[in-house]
Amino acid sequence: MNVFQYFAENSTQIINLTIQHAQFVFYCVAIGSIISVAIGLVVSTGEPNPNRFSFDWWATGIREGSLLITAAVLTVPSLALFVLFLPITGLGVTTAIIVLTIYTLYTVLRNTVAGLTAVDRSILESARGLGYGRVRRLLTIQLPLAWPVILNGIRVTTLISISIAVVASIVQGPGLGKLLLTGITRIGAANAFPQVLIGTVMCLVVAAVFEIIFAIVQRLTIPRGIRV
Amino acid sequence: MSETENMIVLEGVEKIYPGSTSPAVERLDMTIPRGEIVMLIGPSGCGKTTTLKMMNRLIEPTSGRILLDGDDVTDVNGDQLRRKIGYVIQQGGLFPHFSIADNIGVVPKMLGWDKNKIRERADELLHLVGLEPSTYRDRYPRQLSGGQQQRVGVARALAADPPVMLMDEPFGAIDPITRDRLQDEFLEIQRTVGKTIAFVTHDLQEAVKLGDRIAVFATGGRLAQYDDPDTVLTHPADDFVSDFVGGGAAVRRLSLLELSRLELHPIETAESAVGNRNGTPVAEVDAQGRPVSWRHLPDRDASGTALVTVPLSGTVYDAVDVMLDGSASLVAVVDDEGLPQGVLHWNDLVAGLKTRERDR
Amino acid sequence: MTAVDLQPGLPSGTEPSASGSGGGFLGTIRANYDLLVAPAIIIVGLILTYVYISTRTLDSIEARALEANNVLSQLGQHLLLTLYSTVLVLVIAVPLGIVLSRPGARRVQGGVLALGGFAQALPPFGVLLLLGFWEFGVRSAVIGLTLAALLPVLRNTVVGLQQVDQSLIEAARGMGMSSRQTLFRVEIPLAVPVIVAGLRVALVLNVGTATLATYIGAGGLGELVQQALRLNRINLLIVSGVIIAALALAVDWLAGVAERVIVARSG
Repeated sequence: MNVFQYFAENSTQIINLTIQHAQFVFYCVAIGSIISVAIGLVVSTGEPNPNRFSFDWWATGIREGSLLITAAVLTVPSLALFVLFLPITGLGVTTAIIVLTIYTLYTVLRNTVAGLTAVDRSILESARGLGYGRVRRLLTIQLPLAWPVILNGIRVTTLISISIAVVASIVQGPGLGKLLLTGITRIGAANAFPQVLIGTVMCLVVAAVFEIIFAIVQRLTIPRGIRV
Repeated sequence: MSETENMIVLEGVEKIYPGSTSPAVERLDMTIPRGEIVMLIGPSGCGKTTTLKMMNRLIEPTSGRILLDGDDVTDVNGDQLRRKIGYVIQQGGLFPHFSIADNIGVVPKMLGWDKNKIRERADELLHLVGLEPSTYRDRYPRQLSGGQQQRVGVARALAADPPVMLMDEPFGAIDPITRDRLQDEFLEIQRTVGKTIAFVTHDLQEAVKLGDRIAVFATGGRLAQYDDPDTVLTHPADDFVSDFVGGGAAVRRLSLLELSRLELHPIETAESAVGNRNGTPVAEVDAQGRPVSWRHLPDRDASGTALVTVPLSGTVYDAVDVMLDGSASLVAVVDDEGLPQGVLHWNDLVAGLKTRERDR
Repeated sequence: MTAVDLQPGLPSGTEPSASGSGGGFLGTIRANYDLLVAPAIIIVGLILTYVYISTRTLDSIEARALEANNVLSQLGQHLLLTLYSTVLVLVIAVPLGIVLSRPGARRVQGGVLALGGFAQALPPFGVLLLLGFWEFGVRSAVIGLTLAALLPVLRNTVVGLQQVDQSLIEAARGMGMSSRQTLFRVEIPLAVPVIVAGLRVALVLNVGTATLATYIGAGGLGELVQQALRLNRINLLIVSGVIIAALALAVDWLAGVAERVIVARSG
C-alpha cells in the first residue's frame, strides 16, 4: 500500500491524531509558559547587586537555581523522564502532560529572565525616577520590552515539544506517536511504513501551523515602537 | 503650599554604600533656592550623581534629612515623591515601546489626569521644546535623533509641572554642536518655566554657562565649594577646586567668562561725546552707529591704534584674541547690531576682571 | 539572531549574564558552581535508587535484567551509538557550516537557519524508525542519530561565524591576511564557543535518541526500558529511567567541563 493511498483511506484518523497532537502540545506549552513567565517575572528584579537577604537577593538565588535545575531536566532523555513518572502517575495522558510540561519550562524561563534583565538600565532608571513602583515597572516597562524574547522562547519550546510529544506514545500518551508505534510494531505489514512516515511528516505540519500562529501573535502583541 | 525661599534643603545628608567604609557622599548641607539652577560638578566618583539621586531618593541617604519646599520628605513614599519631581537622564531614558506623546504623558497618567488634558499637555510641551506636535506626537523614540530624544526627555520631566527638576548629565552623550543648541534652548525654557533645577555635569563649560550656582564635589564625596560661577572661577575655595577649574592655566578661565557678565568701561561715540571727558575713549561711528576708528583715547595717540571689536556674546578669550590679532591694547565690545556697549582694556586682564551680578 | 534563539541545553555560561562583575558570591556561583548541580543530582539519584532497590526483593526476571554484565553491555552499546553519531555530526556539520558561512553561500544560509529552527519539530524517533524500514541495526541507528543532530550543529556553526565582529575581519584583511588565513586564524577561533555549544547540544540529543534505538534493534539502554514496559516491572522501570537520566546528565556535565576548557583556551 503506498503512502498516499494509506492517507486517503485513513484521513479521518490521521487528522484526528494530528489535532490531538497539536492540542497536547498546546496545553503543555501553555501551562509551562504560564509557570515559567510567572516565575521569571517574580525573580527577574533587574537588581544587579542586591543587598544580602533582601527580596532581590533571594530572587536572584531562586532564579539561578531554577534555571540550573530546569536546564538539567532538559538534558534527561524524554524516554527516561516518561518512564520515571510511570510509578507515580501511571500509563496515559496524565504522565504525558506532566512530563511534556516539565520539558517546556527551561527555554521559556531562560528567555523570560534574559529578556527581563536585558532591558536597558537607563530605561528602568528613568522609570524609577518618574515614580514607577516595582510592579508597575515590571508590567508596563520590562514585560512589554522583553515580550519579543519571551515569545520566541515559547515558539522554540513549542517546536521542541512537538517532537518530544511523539515519545509520549510509549507511555500511552496522545498524539501522532501512536501511528509511529503501531507502524514499527507491525513492521513488514503493508501499511507499516506509511504509518511511520505520515506520523513523522504530520509533526512538521503541526509545526508549520504553530509557526503561522506565532507569526500572527507576534504581529499583534509586539509593541509598535520596538518591532523590528 | 507654603512659599519657602529654599526649594531643596539637604541637612547632614550622608551616603555610605553597604560594604564600603568610606562615604560616597560626606555629611552634606546644601540649599537650593527656588527657581535657581544648581550645577553639580566634579571628577567621576565624587558623589555628584549620588547627591542628585538622594534628592528624589532613588538612592536612600544613610543619614540626614531632605526637605522639599519646606516639607521633610526623608521618609515619605519614594514613588509618590518622584512623581512630583522632574527627572531627566542621559539619552532621555525614553520608553521605546511608548509613542512620544505617551512618553510625555507618563507621569500625568499616573497622577490620574484626564485623557484629553494629557494630550493637550503633551502637545504644549512638544511646542515648548521645539518639536512640532503633529509631526512627532505619534512617533516612537527610535525614530528620533539623540538631540530630539533629549528634548522629549525634558518635556516628559516637565509634564506634570513639577516645581523641581533633577537632571543627570542630560546632554552628556550628545555631539558638541547640538549640545550647545540644547543648552541655549534649555536656558530659554527655564526663563519661561522658572523651575528649581539640580543638574549634574562633568563639563565645566556647561556648568558655567547654565548654572546660577556651582557645587564642586571633590573625590571622596566632599562638597568643596558651593558658589556662583564667577566666584568658583575667580576665587577657588581650595587647591582641589583651583586644580579642577584649571588653576594652573589661568587662560582657560578666560574662555569660560562671557563678556556680557563683565563690568566694562564706558565708551563714547563721536556724536554723543560732549567735550573731552578725560578717561573715556571716543569712537568714530558709521551711518549705522557702528564704531570704525578711535577719535580720542585717554592715554595715547588715537590715530595710531586700530579699533577692533568683539561681540558681547563672546568670551574674554575672544577679546584677548582680537586684541592680540590687531595689536591693540583695548577692544570695543559691541552688541548684535554692532553698536558699542563698552570697552575692555588689556590692563583689566592683569588688574583683575570685575563681574557684575547676573540679571536673569 | 540572538543567543537566546539558539538551542535548548545551551550552557549557562554563554547566556547573557545579569550578574555583573560585582556579583560577588552569586557571581562565583554563576561562574563555576553550576558544574556542581549535575553531579549532585546524579549522586543523590543513584544513591536513592540503590537504597530503594536494596529494600525490594527482585524476582528472577528483574534480577537477570539488572545483572551488571547485562546493564554494562547495554551501556556500552549506548555509548558507542552516541560516540559514532556525534563524531559523524562533527565531521559533517562543522565543515558544512563553514562552507555555508562563506559569502558565496549567503543565499542558502538564511534557508538553512530557518530550516534549522523548524527542524526541531521533526521527531528523531520518527527519523530512526523510518531508517528501520531500510535496515534494522546499529548502522541505521547511527545514521538516524546523525541526521537528527546535524542541524543544531550546522546552525550554531553558521551563527557562530556570523557573529564574529565584522571589524575584526576587516582588520585581519587590512593587515594582509588572505581570506583563508582570516577564516582559520580569526573567524573560526572566535566562533569556537558557539560551535562547541552546538556540539554539546548534539551530544545530549544523541544520548537521548539512542534510548530509542532499541526499537530498530540497535540495543542501548532503551532495551532495559522496553523490557520493563513489556513485562510491567516497576522496579526495572525505575532503575532503567535513573540510569539513563544519570548517563545523560553525566555526559552533558563532561561536555560542559570540556566546553569550558576549550572556550577558556580559545580565549
